[in-house]
Amino acid sequence: MDFLLLNYIFPRLDLVELFNLNQYMDFSLLHQNYFKMFLPEVFLSTSIFIMCLHASLIVTSRRLSYPLVMQSFGKLSVLILFLAFLLVNNNSILFMLTYQNTFIFDLLTSNVKQILLISAIFCILISENNLIKQQINNFEYFLLVLSAILGLFFLVSSYDMLSLYLAIEMQSLCLYVLAAAKKDSSFSTEAGLKYFILGSFSSALLLFGISFLYGCTGTTNFDNFHLLFAGIDGETFLLTASVEKALICIMAAFFFKIAAAPFHMWSPDVYEGSPTSSTIFFAVIPKIALFAVFLRLFQSVFVSFEEFFLFALAFFSIASVTIGSFVALRQKKLKRLLAYSSISHVGYLLLAFSANSLEGTQSLFFYLVIYMITSLCIWSVVLSLDTLTNEKRSKTLIDLASISSTNPFLGFGGMLAFFSLAGVPPLAGFFAKMEIFLSALSSSLFFVSIIAILSSVVASFYYIRLIKTMYFEKKRENSFVFPVTRACSLTISGAVFFLFYFFINPSLLLLLTQKMALCLF
Amino acid sequence: MFFLVEEYYPILLLLFVSIGLACIILGASYFLGIQRPDTEKVSVYECGFDPYEDSRNKFDVRFYLIAIIFIVFDLEALFLFPWAVSLSHIGSMGFWTMVDFLLELTVGFVYVWKIGALEWE
Repeated sequence: MDFLLLNYIFPRLDLVELFNLNQYMDFSLLHQNYFKMFLPEVFLSTSIFIMCLHASLIVTSRRLSYPLVMQSFGKLSVLILFLAFLLVNNNSILFMLTYQNTFIFDLLTSNVKQILLISAIFCILISENNLIKQQINNFEYFLLVLSAILGLFFLVSSYDMLSLYLAIEMQSLCLYVLAAAKKDSSFSTEAGLKYFILGSFSSALLLFGISFLYGCTGTTNFDNFHLLFAGIDGETFLLTASVEKALICIMAAFFFKIAAAPFHMWSPDVYEGSPTSSTIFFAVIPKIALFAVFLRLFQSVFVSFEEFFLFALAFFSIASVTIGSFVALRQKKLKRLLAYSSISHVGYLLLAFSANSLEGTQSLFFYLVIYMITSLCIWSVVLSLDTLTNEKRSKTLIDLASISSTNPFLGFGGMLAFFSLAGVPPLAGFFAKMEIFLSALSSSLFFVSIIAILSSVVASFYYIRLIKTMYFEKKRENSFVFPVTRACSLTISGAVFFLFYFFINPSLLLLLTQKMALCLF
Repeated sequence: MFFLVEEYYPILLLLFVSIGLACIILGASYFLGIQRPDTEKVSVYECGFDPYEDSRNKFDVRFYLIAIIFIVFDLEALFLFPWAVSLSHIGSMGFWTMVDFLLELTVGFVYVWKIGALEWE
């Protein structure tokens, strides 16, 4: 085995170790290294199984008088996610393709996994209290959250169409059940069923696209696609039409999963119907993993067809931005409004995607991270709106009224988060939006950028209307306000800090996102 | 697109052969068999239910549960057969992979059992 290849696989080993390795190199050693790469996944799945066994034995035990394990399981899953974070963080191998090139490990995957884990920890922490309040006493809830994270891990690492499909299915099956977690609420069940039916439809589209690709090329591996399509000319290539059909199907599934505009209809209903704790999970976590894997698929595997898919991406970007901005104007329910707002933000992300440059991808990841921080803050505010009278029902915009007088700091945090989403200057949201527009303009996407900027003006209207409701409107009836939980208040203050910090000194995040983007080019 | 025709020609052939075979089997049993129909023989068999009812009536959710659990544990056997046949080729890695799969399936089985999904009442 030559040095170059070994250096590629084991970049941290020096030459002396290389010689030793060269002597004793055998197949099992390779597998040992594969196993090292999969350590976080192995740890997560093992702990899921142990938790499952433990809970099913404890919860049904008459001797312990059928205990409720929700609180301890919440803490336990936070601990597991934290340990998995340490394992991901501790990985020494920078690049590796494992198991017949079905999984890839590089800086992009490890960074995305870290971001996923941190956001999942915060999601669990802030929604724990809400779960107990809603009397969702299924220990399966946390198992499903952990399995969804595991599925997202596999999704980020997947480097083959089959592993991509299986990982998408794994995470979406968990999300369907999470949407229907409140079994006695017909809204929640409806949301779960809607999500399930539409989600399986989109998975069918994805499979159809994959089978088309397989029919054309006889392979499902990203690496093989990359080599096969490298340098071909879209005009003269024999199978261009078929590959483009396949790409349409795959893109449709992708746009469905991230709720981009013509495929967005499920998202407001699911956000509204499912319990708030699950909504937070849908809203914050899966997008970054989906974006990471599809960026890899389109920007480094199907580069030869970029003229074709960039046009589609730009179209869907315009559609999401306008629909997300204009339809949200008429929404009265808070969760629906946030769903439409997330649709418009997906539009900005797709704008950065369609720029198809290093700066574009970097700004996409930057925007995603800022968006995740902001939405964690906003959802903590939403969770803290409970009063004695509105505790049971879904929150409307008027529930935000006079929050600035009942709890000034909560109002202040919410205000800053909404300003950041709108893109008002001294906050990180402005910087992220500016990056996206600059990268789009440098790729000559003038028309799309102008429409996106104009729509963001419309969108800022409803964010500012929310702030107006918080600060200048009085509630008609007074009611007992529940105190904000410690996790929510810590999340809000941390998020507000980072919103300022990444405006003043974005170099840390810019460096991280540039590293992630460099993996794709 | 000529190579597509070439590659899928056996499938086309299979399609025609299977249609022909199906016609022959059905036709032979229809024309050559002795037919003495009565109500019990002719009626549709559907697991003890009356087959011609309004389809909008309530149906016990436990049937679905049993069906889902059955699929999971039936597919397990489906995986075991090819594994057992090819065990000499796949080495220790293949062996331990299946052991791991069975362990994980057992966890699921314990869960299903303890949670009471296997009990009808």
